[in-house]
Amino acid sequence: MNERTKLLHCYSAEQFAAWELHLFLDTHPDDKSALRLYDRHNARAMELKKEFEEKFGPLLSESAEGCAWLKDPWPWEKGGC
Amino acid sequence: MWNYEKKLQYPINIKTPNPAFAQIIISQYGGPDGEISASLRYLSQRYTMPNGELKGLLTDIGTEEMAHFEMIGAMVYQLTRNLSCEDIKKQGFDAYFVDHTTGVYTAAANGTPWTATYFQSKGDVITDLHEDLAAEQKARTTYDNILRLIDDPDIIDPIRFLREREIVHYQRFGEGLRIATDALDCKNYYMYNPEFDKKCKN
Repeated sequence: MNERTKLLHCYSAEQFAAWELHLFLDTHPDDKSALRLYDRHNARAMELKKEFEEKFGPLLSESAEGCAWLKDPWPWEKGGC
Repeated sequence: MWNYEKKLQYPINIKTPNPAFAQIIISQYGGPDGEISASLRYLSQRYTMPNGELKGLLTDIGTEEMAHFEMIGAMVYQLTRNLSCEDIKKQGFDAYFVDHTTGVYTAAANGTPWTATYFQSKGDVITDLHEDLAAEQKARTTYDNILRLIDDPDIIDPIRFLREREIVHYQRFGEGLRIATDALDCKNYYMYNPEFDKKCKN
């Protein structure tokens, strides 16, 4: 596994943990411990996303500059995810 | 609005193309209980929901389903790469190929194109949430059936992830239904429709 894939997987895992807690909080909005856990995973996910984008180019279309957005691989292609 | 993130929710790396498997999996792309039916169902039902929890839940799950739609699209794409005409004929992909080449199209496994009649937006919170609970179970059964038919670990792993998501969404919708009924008249949930009758707006 190359460095790009490894970092993308680390980010995806933290992002997924945060997302799962976000869904849980939709139906448990007053659960303080779930909220703390969400904050922790979300903060880590944001750090990893920043690191990934600095090293390997934009993930979000809004952080894309010029042709960096258009560079292969796209998520469905070999090496893209 | 939405933001696109240039990644999949869960990785798809299928090493061996197999158009016969693509034709099975495509049902979760554009079939009756597929991911786009789920996404459009939740994102349509949310507008008239009576409270914040349910508006949030339908927006969020409807959004996650779009990411699943992309995962299934990626699987169909990877399973139909570099095919020879011989592979296409031998693996029974010719009927799909003649209309779509290897383009990814919203159709069920039997070729029926996607239709909006696969879902309802009834404007009644109890009715819609029961449809959503059933939808998650129907998708779970479809993934179970896919797992019975497929032996490639590169496909099995992401399909198991998607199957698990159906179970989590089912759980969240169950909690949503409880939140909805807790806000209604406990002696008769059906007295008023909180999405229409002003008397009951909360």
